Amino acid sequence: MTKRFCRGLTGLLATALLTISVAVAEQTLGPVTDEIGVIRIPKGAPIQIGGSWVLSGPDTASGLDQKRAVEIAIKQLGGKLLDHPLKLNAEDDLCNAEGGQTVGTKLASNPQTVIVLGSACSSAATPEAPILWQAGIVDICTSCTAPSLTAPNRKPEYAGFARTVYSDIEQGKADATYAREEMKAKSVVTIHDGSPYAQQLQQVMADNFKAMGGAVLSQEAIAPTDVDMHPLLTRIASEKPDLIYFPVFTAAGAQILRQAKETPGLEHTGLLGGGALFSADFIEAAGPAVIGFLVAYPDLSPEAMGKGYPDFVEEYKKAYGEAPISGNHGNAYDAAILATKAIEQVAKSDAAGNLYIGKKALRDTVFATKFDGISGPIACDPYGECGEFHPSVLEYTSADPKTFAIGKNPKKIWPK
Amino acid sequence: MSLLAAARLPRFPAASRIDAVGIALWGLRIAVVLVVVIGTIGSLIKARYTGAQWFDLVMFGLTIGSIYAQIALGYTMVYGVLRMINFAHGEIVMSGAFAGYFVATAFDHSGLLTQSPLPTMAAVVAVAVLTSTSIALLAERIAYRPFRRSGGLAPLICAFGVSFFLQQTFRGMFGTAVRSYPDPLWQRAAFHIFGYTVPHLDVLVVGLALLFMLALYLIVQRTRMGTAMRAVAEDAEAAALMGIDINKIVVFTFALGGAMAGIAGVFYSMVYKQVYFFMGFTPGLKAFGAAVLGGIGSIPGAMLGGFFLGMVESVGPSLFLDGLGIPAPYQLRDLIAFTLLIMVLIFRPQGIFGERMAKRRA
Repeated sequence: MTKRFCRGLTGLLATALLTISVAVAEQTLGPVTDEIGVIRIPKGAPIQIGGSWVLSGPDTASGLDQKRAVEIAIKQLGGKLLDHPLKLNAEDDLCNAEGGQTVGTKLASNPQTVIVLGSACSSAATPEAPILWQAGIVDICTSCTAPSLTAPNRKPEYAGFARTVYSDIEQGKADATYAREEMKAKSVVTIHDGSPYAQQLQQVMADNFKAMGGAVLSQEAIAPTDVDMHPLLTRIASEKPDLIYFPVFTAAGAQILRQAKETPGLEHTGLLGGGALFSADFIEAAGPAVIGFLVAYPDLSPEAMGKGYPDFVEEYKKAYGEAPISGNHGNAYDAAILATKAIEQVAKSDAAGNLYIGKKALRDTVFATKFDGISGPIACDPYGECGEFHPSVLEYTSADPKTFAIGKNPKKIWPK
Repeated sequence: MSLLAAARLPRFPAASRIDAVGIALWGLRIAVVLVVVIGTIGSLIKARYTGAQWFDLVMFGLTIGSIYAQIALGYTMVYGVLRMINFAHGEIVMSGAFAGYFVATAFDHSGLLTQSPLPTMAAVVAVAVLTSTSIALLAERIAYRPFRRSGGLAPLICAFGVSFFLQQTFRGMFGTAVRSYPDPLWQRAAFHIFGYTVPHLDVLVVGLALLFMLALYLIVQRTRMGTAMRAVAEDAEAAALMGIDINKIVVFTFALGGAMAGIAGVFYSMVYKQVYFFMGFTPGLKAFGAAVLGGIGSIPGAMLGGFFLGMVESVGPSLFLDGLGIPAPYQLRDLIAFTLLIMVLIFRPQGIFGERMAKRRA
């Protein structure tokens, strides 16, 4: 009860701080008055939606998959909303802090940016969301899962941040459960790459693993650009862990996987990766070592997803000539639907056909909108956590990147 | 042998000029030495690693060190002859790795890489060397030569430009994905000696790297072209007056550096099994550090610097930091490698094999 009260109180305080966390400037334009500003879209001009994803580098599949999902959502709306064309301004945030900062600044500098979808990475979203909210722009993240982004104690500058994807609080707990109960691991070594995603996820996993009676032998760190993992893995081998848990990104993850198999002393050590290793790109980078590798990821089987998901997958195949190339497309599609539903509710037209959108009103509407998405029910809590989580563990079955197909390669092995 | 005799600098500041900075530097030296000594004693007392694991760490260090050394040779030769830091050298390594990747993949798909490893790997190396050398020569002719007489930072900025140009060209041509290098069974084989496991690939890479470096050393030391290179490195104007064609020597230097870069690119890909457009940057930077450590301009110095850096990266965290109880020591491996590099340069600013400049020129 006390906990709930405190959470509610913190929520209220956060809402109160909302108005002072952005450049407060009440504005009236046309029929709309808003506490933090109004966007005027002239008749016939597009409603501009910003996109921020990783569109180059080793993790491209993740960002491209989400961008495609948003494009499908826009296409399904006929490319229009409230008689205005919808325009997606997708930018490459490189899945790092510098990229997120640059993209955030670029999108925030466009006065016509109504809302931003993405990023795919917590590393980029962490600096990007405050920049956007400083300009009164809501950011609906599509696959950044770091717990700090929607934590009750998050800073006021994140008040405009929401996400249609789960928090790694849940992912880390599920991974620890799988490691302890299914893999029967008694000891674990975790590896992170210093990114908010990897660092926070391995910490949550380690905390839960310990709480379940397991031993965390060490929590190692690498740089995302490291290629020589042999010395680190030799050090880990000296600890004789049952499991190495490494929720890192494609390039470093592939090196750990390959080199762990060559390291004396790790022949019988289990390996478990995180969601960033769920793509055809990872198969390409890891080569034959990928066969048998386990990756923890939300359950994307039709029974765990929303009812519109199979139709979406067909639409995706038709549009791009291939099945989804990574895993968070459902979250991205739902983010686009959430954004357009909120815009529809908030926007007002004048007699000349110009459209007006209040920024604060849009933020509040995004946080209040509920619907059944293709990734599951969407309903935001006061801190912007809107998605639902169903855990699963998948196993890669082939080293051919062309065989990447969710449910087949990798195939779901848990829950059975 | 030294291509460049480094600047005339005293080994130690004169005793009469002891000041606060000097005291701080000595304090730093003592602190680093204490960390190394206490850490090493602590690690050895802890006995966390078995003999076999120490042996593995040393082998990993030698392997990556031999690759750094080969790359460092490119930096050091170009600097020796042109007094220019070719920051695009890492990308020339990357270009060789890409060329080798395509040939190796084709052989792998046809099964030849497994059936006939020797001729196929020779072909892979030959194509990589050809590609790297061609790109190095093109860079010299198109980008660097026009700046040769320019003073200031123009050649350095030009080298950065070439580096970005090559990265983005390969990115545009081959995409941004990380590609997996073929991994035939023979590359994963190992033999056992005195209870230690020695991977064939590590021995092959270290052995061939030493062989190629020895060949390069002999070319520079014992051939007419090598002698001319050294003459140009010592005093280009005097060498020109003696009838040496400077352009020819510069081209020869870039060709040698490019060839070593191609070989290093293939070895790097064989060991770490990944190829992508940005792969040359980090090893290039580290190899540059190795060249400076050894004494930029000195071929043996570049070799020694490469091996030193590789060993410190590989063994250093376990040897120095584990004993001090520092958690996750491998995240600090670049830090300790470059701290030791700085320490060596504080003690010997011209690098390990750097020499004083000739007092009188011809």
